Amino acid sequence: MKKLLSALLASAMVLSLLAGCGGKTGGSGAPANGSNPGGSGTAAGDLKGDLVFAIWDNNLLEYIEDNDMVGKFQETYPNIDIEVEKIKDDSEYWNSMKMRASANQLPDVMFNKPFTLSRFQDYLLDLSGTEACKNNTLAQGYALNGKVLGIPMTAGYEYVYYWKDMFQEAGVQVPTTWEELKDVSKKLQDYFGAKDPDFMAIALGAKDEWPTYPYMEFMPALVSGNGQNWNDMAKSDAPFASGTDINTAYHRVYDLFTSGVLGKDPLGMSKDQVTNLFAQKKAAITALGDWGLQDISGAADSTDQLGTFYLPVRESASEPFRYIVQGDSFMGVTTHSKNPEAAKAFVEWFYSEAWYPGYINYVSSASSMANFPKDKDPILAEADAAQPDGEMVMYDGGGDDFTALQNETTFDYKKLGAQMLTNGFDLDAALADLDAKWGAARAKLGIQ
Amino acid sequence: MNSLERQRKLFIISSLAIPVFLLVCFVVFPAIDLFRMSFTNWDGLSPTSDFIKLDNYIAMFHNPDLWQSLKNNGVYFFVHLCMIPVELAFAVLLNSKLRAAKFYKTMVFLPYIINGVAISYAFSYFFSPVNGAFDSILETIKLGMLSGHGWLSDEKIINFTLAFVSLWRFSGYHIILFMASLQSVNQDIMEAARIDGANSWQLFRYIQTPSIALMVDFVLFDNIRGAMQVFDIPFVMTQGGPGYASSTFTLYTIKTAFTFANFGLASTMAVAIMIIIILIYIVQNKIIHGFILKEGK
Repeated sequence: MKKLLSALLASAMVLSLLAGCGGKTGGSGAPANGSNPGGSGTAAGDLKGDLVFAIWDNNLLEYIEDNDMVGKFQETYPNIDIEVEKIKDDSEYWNSMKMRASANQLPDVMFNKPFTLSRFQDYLLDLSGTEACKNNTLAQGYALNGKVLGIPMTAGYEYVYYWKDMFQEAGVQVPTTWEELKDVSKKLQDYFGAKDPDFMAIALGAKDEWPTYPYMEFMPALVSGNGQNWNDMAKSDAPFASGTDINTAYHRVYDLFTSGVLGKDPLGMSKDQVTNLFAQKKAAITALGDWGLQDISGAADSTDQLGTFYLPVRESASEPFRYIVQGDSFMGVTTHSKNPEAAKAFVEWFYSEAWYPGYINYVSSASSMANFPKDKDPILAEADAAQPDGEMVMYDGGGDDFTALQNETTFDYKKLGAQMLTNGFDLDAALADLDAKWGAARAKLGIQ
Repeated sequence: MNSLERQRKLFIISSLAIPVFLLVCFVVFPAIDLFRMSFTNWDGLSPTSDFIKLDNYIAMFHNPDLWQSLKNNGVYFFVHLCMIPVELAFAVLLNSKLRAAKFYKTMVFLPYIINGVAISYAFSYFFSPVNGAFDSILETIKLGMLSGHGWLSDEKIINFTLAFVSLWRFSGYHIILFMASLQSVNQDIMEAARIDGANSWQLFRYIQTPSIALMVDFVLFDNIRGAMQVFDIPFVMTQGGPGYASSTFTLYTIKTAFTFANFGLASTMAVAIMIIIILIYIVQNKIIHGFILKEGK
């Protein structure tokens, strides 16, 4: 009997070990780039199979459900079925995708952000031969080693939203330099803060940490006008030293954050809370992406007095005015897809006349497709009107070397932004510490 | 071996084989794999990883943010530990002939069955610095000078705020456990002691406490395990911030794995937390049984 029990246990262990090995070996087969454009040379009816399409965007899900995306797609591709899988938010999305990548279980079609493209590059097929890629204005700019691993669904712009009537009441103008922004914020805080102790000139929501990104993530690129600033950082042993773009940018952010214009307790409130307060005019300014317009419109009684301007980072009016643009939501086909041709056909269809124009007009974001241009929402267009000579900076989220160094040094710029608001925070010491870690990490990882 | 005997053994083996198989697959094997991963630099994505000996263990000991996080776990541990006698007192009270005891029992247990994430969200708004209910309550009861302290942002008090939420949620569970064990105390012995003239304190100290020692042990262990692995409350309410002021060991481990793509180091931390829990339990057991409960034996 003991022998039987031992045999059972042994076989259970062997089975589980084999199962574990299976997962790993599957992963090793992952990088297998295909380049055949989706569906080209294949009749729509010939393509078949099941696809999983993983998303995190609530607006996209709503549009997909309201407009029967699967049904419309099947009018052209009757033998392909699509399961739309919604994940809570983008943070959870990356966690889930990392786990699924190692388990050989990535969805057929997934999204990426500029900063995740390099992490998942071994798991994404090259889409450079597709029509969608050819018509996309941003895709080629984010190619890695000549391969287009995702087609940006939207062109993402960053705005500063403000209430015109509040500016008027406090007697301030839209700022065009960093000093003016500080001055305007201070005046707003003094004026409205005198009546309402809960007032915030700038609504930040630093409890969530990520809302610091318009300042912490984009300002170094805006200061230098170099969208590749993260990649250039990877080439330096002391990128946080005095005089560097990142040092200059973070000192400016620190000065603004600690000047009292974020209200009485910016670390105590989340992005949702402050966006609602901004919508109720308990705050005058908030910096968000173009997607933020939908959040604000949903919470505000009226957006008649809502305006936008680009974050003015320059020190003086004689410097060029720069603003960020980035490809957003890069739709890619994974190497784990059992039906890559069907998945590519879906990507082509998504960016075609049959679907994309309706979707892009539904969301507040800008179009990334040259063949389907879209006029900006009048509120967002105000930012362009205010800076007709603005210089666009194409933002890159950072490549392999930067990501490896970021992981090794645990450099988290969004967290650093929130830390600036804590008592006794010493920015110079924090940057010196990061420099020391950065140099050591470059040596350890052998990055030149 | 007769047929009945054979069937009996077959039943026992098959009843054991399935749970053992599941245990091996989902507990033993992952634990072994976790231990193996703790010696590698796996990034969570690459198909391969390198064996880096004890580098992760050395890196872990040199990480101040991780130890700050462990210190924060200590706040949960001590706050809950201090509350265990109070929970026991509540259990004794609710176990006695108290008017509307059933209502109180329900009320006490209710927070435990509410979803933890929902509780955390609700308390985020409760402690909000703008329109927060807690500050309003303080002002209503003429304690306005205590309001506006940055309950979720001041590094000095943030962990106590979160530990309070944890207490609110889990105390009822401990009370119910104590009540269940108090009800199993032999009533004949209690009756005999009463006849012999024992008062309530003597009944509690010399009969009830020794009788529920096993449950006290379990609650103490549950406290260590819960305090060392606390995750949902700080994750939802503060994301471990500001900085790492309210981060916990588990939160930091997850950040290491998923944000900084260092699954090897995160596995090392997971191994470390298992060892820490076992060590604290052994030390606590020695103290409780060696000194505090020694008299009762």
